[in-house]
Amino acid sequence: MSEPGQWFESDPLWFKHAVFYEIHTRAFFDGNDDGSGDLRGVTEKLDYLQWLGVDCIWLLPLYPSPLRDGGYDIADFTNVHEDYGTVEDFRQLIEAAHQRGIRVIADLVMNHTSSDHPWFQASRTEPGGPHGDWYVWSDTAEPWQEARIIFLDTEPSNWTWDPVRGQYYWHRFFSHQPDLNYDNPEVQQAMLDVLRFWLDLGIDGFRMDAIPYLFERDGTNGENLPESHEYLKRVRAEIDANYADKVLLAEANQWPEDVVEYFGDGDECHMCFHFPVMPRMFMALRREDATPIYEILERTPPIPENCQWGLFLRNHDELTLEMVTDDERDYMYNEYAKDPRMKLNLGIRRRLAPLMDSGRDEIQLLHAIMFSLPGSPVLYYGDEIGMGDNIFLGDRDGVRTPMQWTGDRNGGFSRADFAQLYLPPLMDPVYGYQAVNVEAQLRTPASLLRWIRRFVALRKQHPVFGLGSYEPLETSNPRIFAHVRRYEDDVVLCVHNVARSAQAVELDLARFRGMVPEEMFGRTAFPPVGELPYLLTLGQRDFFWFQLREPGDV
Amino acid sequence: MTAPHHLTLSIPEDALRDFVLSQRWFGAKSREIAHFQVVAAPVVRTEEPLLALAVVEIRFHPGTHELYQVPLGFRREWPDGIAEVEGWIAYDALADPELARELVERMRRQADVAGGEAMVEFRATGEAAASLERVRPMGREQSNTSLVFDDDLVLKVYRRIEAGVNPELELLRFLTDRGFPSIASLEGWAAYLGTPLEATLAIAQDYVAGEGDGWELALESLREGRGDEFVERLRLLGETTGTMHSVLASDSNDPSFAPEEPSAEALGLLTASVDEEIEALFLSLPDLPELEPIVGRGEEVREQLRGLSHAGDVGKVIRTHGDYHLGQALWTGSGWVILDFEGEPARPIVDRRRKRSPLRDVAGMLRSFAYAASAAEIEHGVEPPEGWEERARDAFLLGYLSQVDAALIPAGSALERLLVVFELEKAVYELRYELDNRPGWVRIPVLGIARLLERAAV
Repeated sequence: MSEPGQWFESDPLWFKHAVFYEIHTRAFFDGNDDGSGDLRGVTEKLDYLQWLGVDCIWLLPLYPSPLRDGGYDIADFTNVHEDYGTVEDFRQLIEAAHQRGIRVIADLVMNHTSSDHPWFQASRTEPGGPHGDWYVWSDTAEPWQEARIIFLDTEPSNWTWDPVRGQYYWHRFFSHQPDLNYDNPEVQQAMLDVLRFWLDLGIDGFRMDAIPYLFERDGTNGENLPESHEYLKRVRAEIDANYADKVLLAEANQWPEDVVEYFGDGDECHMCFHFPVMPRMFMALRREDATPIYEILERTPPIPENCQWGLFLRNHDELTLEMVTDDERDYMYNEYAKDPRMKLNLGIRRRLAPLMDSGRDEIQLLHAIMFSLPGSPVLYYGDEIGMGDNIFLGDRDGVRTPMQWTGDRNGGFSRADFAQLYLPPLMDPVYGYQAVNVEAQLRTPASLLRWIRRFVALRKQHPVFGLGSYEPLETSNPRIFAHVRRYEDDVVLCVHNVARSAQAVELDLARFRGMVPEEMFGRTAFPPVGELPYLLTLGQRDFFWFQLREPGDV
Repeated sequence: MTAPHHLTLSIPEDALRDFVLSQRWFGAKSREIAHFQVVAAPVVRTEEPLLALAVVEIRFHPGTHELYQVPLGFRREWPDGIAEVEGWIAYDALADPELARELVERMRRQADVAGGEAMVEFRATGEAAASLERVRPMGREQSNTSLVFDDDLVLKVYRRIEAGVNPELELLRFLTDRGFPSIASLEGWAAYLGTPLEATLAIAQDYVAGEGDGWELALESLREGRGDEFVERLRLLGETTGTMHSVLASDSNDPSFAPEEPSAEALGLLTASVDEEIEALFLSLPDLPELEPIVGRGEEVREQLRGLSHAGDVGKVIRTHGDYHLGQALWTGSGWVILDFEGEPARPIVDRRRKRSPLRDVAGMLRSFAYAASAAEIEHGVEPPEGWEERARDAFLLGYLSQVDAALIPAGSALERLLVVFELEKAVYELRYELDNRPGWVRIPVLGIARLLERAAV
């Protein structure tokens, strides 16, 4: 019954015109009143997601885990954390989602396990045993010093001493997350079996965490090695041979020229997140200068036809500043993380609305820029209602507080006692659940939620945003980000003003002479493109999207 | 050797395209076509007359597409062909009794066909063994093609196909299995399994002759001054509807049918969607005198709706008919038979399969009474008796409430408020439709919307 083909027309490129929605299951809805969100809770809220227009939900890790890294420390790859429910609950969620035309992908960490994983326990206690060589062990902490330390705030080294085995083990992330040894063919096979387990259940794909680090080699920084790509190609080939219409979405927080390697020749990952463009959208707004966005897109190589960028404004992690220069990072910290508590590792642990000081124009403008770029947008739960964060909670918990459904007790997230909740919901006067919640915004026609839904619907009416070319427009006004998207006969002109003040811009639209720009929200026809540069004026933080149409069609 | 698959793919694209585009069941006439292609053609019969079930993909600007089923026959000679290919005439197979019969016989024999990337599954559910001698088109549908065999059996071939089980097959099967008497029982079906989709291709069900559908009979009775006689039958229709909903909600073990508690924000989602429709509609209202009673009152309507979003109890959500109006009920002389469980064909299948409040069907029927009253005037110049529509509504609701499982619907004033939301949703949809298609009928939904406003003002 959960064969996905039953509810979808086959479309190997579905992800290219999809809108994704990222869910932290623990935070979304509590279906069994125990204070923690679960899979049944997500299933209950599918109607909401369908209404919003979401095509695919991405669930953060669901696996049994000691939860020392939000579940990215997996202790069993083929089971569901008891707080979230059962494998059967997951199967039912997939089925219910498919019946609503929604696909489901889930996080999978390929690089490492929790130190609680039985594989690691066997490896440390029985070096000569069947799992002895499943992790990366060394007698010294010397090798591979070129590899950077990612969790700078907590980890002094990528090696940690294990007193049980009497050796060091390698870990690119927390010391409780030992890296798997991909040089061992059994590890490679075991992870393929994990993928199959979930694919057989009907899952539509994976968001693959931390993939640049699978292998280690002398004299390298241990990132983006050819061996890692080779293994990912093998994963892709196995999936293509046995399953249809799946997606592999790679998390590779790297520069575009390195990330594109993960697309291979269209035979590796289907999608990769475009990490570097994200902080530049924020930078552009703060500096009132669109240049950073133009530049990073200029620097982005073309990708194979059957691949797609994943675009996002915010997610469950800190707003990562790994892919900016030191100066840019200082600038971002100064502007967006005035309180040191807002910083984490190389990033800023805040949600979209507080980053924008709750500015509605700014939030809408950022969505417009993201939705206009080549790629598929990924929304983060709660950002569609402008939820806030709690910087007094540890690690990244501040951006993982309970979804705010109503103004009632616990924000409608759970019927459990307040003290039982996994984290307190936001209760401050600006972002608290009494001020910001789904129920109230459903009732308010001008709410952010209702605007986002209309915007999602508009984007989905125009496959050009997912499939079309990107052609930047040079303007004499650096405060304007303008470009053209084109797919078959659909031509869309997107013009965004990143400044706090009204702006005028002259666009060189000579190649569209005679065509009529029709504003896409209100379907208002603007004057046709003539001989002179096309003059537009935009209010502060304003944008226009036009469909360029033949005069007879308007 | 005869190879209908090859022949199908060899039909000149222009010829097949012209044929499809000129058919009544091709629903996207106003759209600009970018691409037309046969994507599959499973072979059902390899002796003359040959039969292949072509699936054609029609892509539109800007990038969306639809799939249609086109059963194609091939004979050496045939009067009305689509094209000539390699000495064979390709033609519309449903115009050929022999091939129509082939489809039903395959269902009866459960004789699947497989080949290439697709398989067509044929299944029988009944015992019927009508002789299938005479075949005639049913003739009144637009979006599909139905054929009647000997006044015993109907074969309904879906034209536009979509991934997923057609709700008509699901609902008829469910209601047939549970012995619900007021339908034309399911006798069999055909389904396509493979690339690019899994879809229901056709169903067979009993033929019910009947004396006319509810719409025809309502107008006839109003024309002949027997409007109030007909009201009594509407009470019966209400009872039948109530029973239908109770049966549809009777199996909590079947996940596709088990009644569910709507999620907490169900009503909020519904009213928000209707609100968006109202806003969009009022933004684009043309300058027509018929619109006078509601023009400029968009905000009032929305205000009204906002009040309703607090309606509280909304009952349960269940599988419903989905496109319920007088034309979907057939009078047999002693009772009603409910027809056409496809749902609104313009909506995608995932939407049509959704569980909803049964009151949405009820609201559809109530709006249909308003249409009947006005149509009597517009089409026949007959004014319905004073208060006819009100009495029709009361009778239908009385019958409905006497039979429907009370756990499915909210009680008292919450019921009335929910009905208002659904009627408003329906009237807004009607207004858009009439503005686009039948300007002469615009005043019907306008009156409906105005009345909901007046009722609210009380």
